[in-house]
Amino acid sequence: MKLLIVEDNAELSDDLAIFLTENGFVVEVAYNLNEAEQKIFDYSYDLVILDLGLPDGSGLDLLRKAKASRLKMGFLIVTARNAIEDKVAGLELGADDYITKPFHKAELNARVRSIIRRKNADGNNLIEIGNIAVNLLSLDVTVAGMPIDLTRKEFDLLVYFLYNKNRVLTKESIVEHLWGDHADQADSFDFIYNHIKNLRKKLQQAGGDVQIQSVYGMGYKFSQNS
Amino acid sequence: MRPKSIRLLTKTTFIYLVFILIAFFSTAVFIIQRTNNFIDEDTESYFSRRERRVIRVIEEGERDLSEINDLVKIENLSAIAVSTYPKYRDTTMVVSQMDDPMLLREKTILVNTSKGHFEYKMYKNISDFDKFRQGVLSTITNTFIILVLVLTLFSLFLSGFLFRAFHRILGSMSKYKIGNDFKLPDVRTSTSEFKKMQLLVSKMITQIESDYRKLKEYTENMAHEMQTPLAIIRSKAELLIADEKMMVEHSKTIKVIYDEATHLSNLGNTLNLLTKIENGEYDKVEQLNTYHIINRHVEAVKEMFDLKGLKLMVELDPNHTLHLDPLLFDVMLKNLLKNALRYGLSVGPVLLTTKGNTLSISNYGNPLPFDSSKIFNRFVGSNGAKSALGLGLALVKRICDLNQLTITYSFCDAQHTFSIKSAE
Repeated sequence: MKLLIVEDNAELSDDLAIFLTENGFVVEVAYNLNEAEQKIFDYSYDLVILDLGLPDGSGLDLLRKAKASRLKMGFLIVTARNAIEDKVAGLELGADDYITKPFHKAELNARVRSIIRRKNADGNNLIEIGNIAVNLLSLDVTVAGMPIDLTRKEFDLLVYFLYNKNRVLTKESIVEHLWGDHADQADSFDFIYNHIKNLRKKLQQAGGDVQIQSVYGMGYKFSQNS
Repeated sequence: MRPKSIRLLTKTTFIYLVFILIAFFSTAVFIIQRTNNFIDEDTESYFSRRERRVIRVIEEGERDLSEINDLVKIENLSAIAVSTYPKYRDTTMVVSQMDDPMLLREKTILVNTSKGHFEYKMYKNISDFDKFRQGVLSTITNTFIILVLVLTLFSLFLSGFLFRAFHRILGSMSKYKIGNDFKLPDVRTSTSEFKKMQLLVSKMITQIESDYRKLKEYTENMAHEMQTPLAIIRSKAELLIADEKMMVEHSKTIKVIYDEATHLSNLGNTLNLLTKIENGEYDKVEQLNTYHIINRHVEAVKEMFDLKGLKLMVELDPNHTLHLDPLLFDVMLKNLLKNALRYGLSVGPVLLTTKGNTLSISNYGNPLPFDSSKIFNRFVGSNGAKSALGLGLALVKRICDLNQLTITYSFCDAQHTFSIKSAE
């Protein structure tokens, strides 16, 4: 899977590039609109992560050109949190999804994977880790071949963990993933412990060979039992 | 109560009319007085002539005094009140040959002659004088009425024609909204004051727009440019969080860095939102039916309340509406719910109701540690609650203020209640 990150801030784009490379993607970076335009017309990418606020113009222009030339690649636009107009304009132009700045890397990873999966019509809708298998289309979860019953939130939480296995997910990032726009209404993020506890219990009772560890009161890490 | 406002032209016309009324009234009084004086002088000289004549006739003794009309001999002078003479009386008399009754002035005098004392009555026709006086009065009255009519019509004409440019300038000024790149439409007028006014208003608007743009740019740049360094700090903190060795030794420090960067980033975003709201950038105002919107919100956050042991109850009126931009209602509702979630105690439910023209939300909680009049101020009372920005209620208040909604806060029976009323 080949990604292009279009972001003018080198620190951020390089961090993202390292992070996504660690997650198994082939990543290239463009620091401005011009460079990005050359790249998308010269090479082929599965997904472009496009910051809209670039020094030499708006990312929306690039999106417009790409869509006009019927490029097949997916687009994930990155907007400032309050720029609702940009969000709407981007989606209308044909962007696949948007994410607002500042975002959690784990959230970006989940969005990227989700877009790529949706883009590939024959894509694999099954995620597996250890003896746990999750079907993203039918929303079925099996542990060692046996189906288990999860609530919608527990399901979303499990998928988020699966996309970001072996990585500490902060509580805040989990709340933002599960509650989206309503996340900022939470006064503390400790309450997700209940969801973690329930998910953990259901997976363990079904004999799942995975664990959800609490990490320094900061968040949780999902990994396969060694 | 504010005094009722009256249009300038109406006011001017009214004052003008009052002055004219006073002027006309004084003129009328003056003319009537002069006429009366004239009548008096004229009749008096006539009566004097008659008096002299009658005295002469009596003294000459050539005529039979009984032939003289209205001459009565007084035998006993002491029987009458001498001091009441001469007596004057105006009287009307119907004369058969004439259509109109005649107005006469009657003067009764005492005549002292060597032939004895007499009472003598004299008459003088003053009908013509009276007609003249009436004529003067009716002329003044008619002129005044005509003047009132002409002035009123003229003022209507003025407001319609002369002041049309002024009203059009006012009309376009009232459409002005900051930040819209507003150009005052050029209203054609040959009145120099209006031209000057247009020029000044245009200049003012240009200045305001330029100041506003600068301020907006500054705020936006601050809020926006701040986000990138904060995103970098957060990104680096995330790198450290992923590093198990680092976390063993510095988990607390890294968490603080991460949390504070997040807090600052949220603060920037919210301040930016507040600025945008204050600038009236959310202007897609519509009549919102709140029923489904509130239900959707409640559905989304109910779990958060449950997880905190709070019961979120709603009693919604399906017909309740509010007149504002849907995005602003979203912000308002979110912040009210957030406030209830943050400070609510589980001794009783959080109750969200809509009824009539009122939306209210109440939660059980401890009394405020500060003066309740400051509850809508920025950064008040957030000290106790970790991660609170201290801007939520200020946001709600601003949204209400800008949309003609009244928000009130009360604390009663351990319940904090916010009520939002829309003007009916």
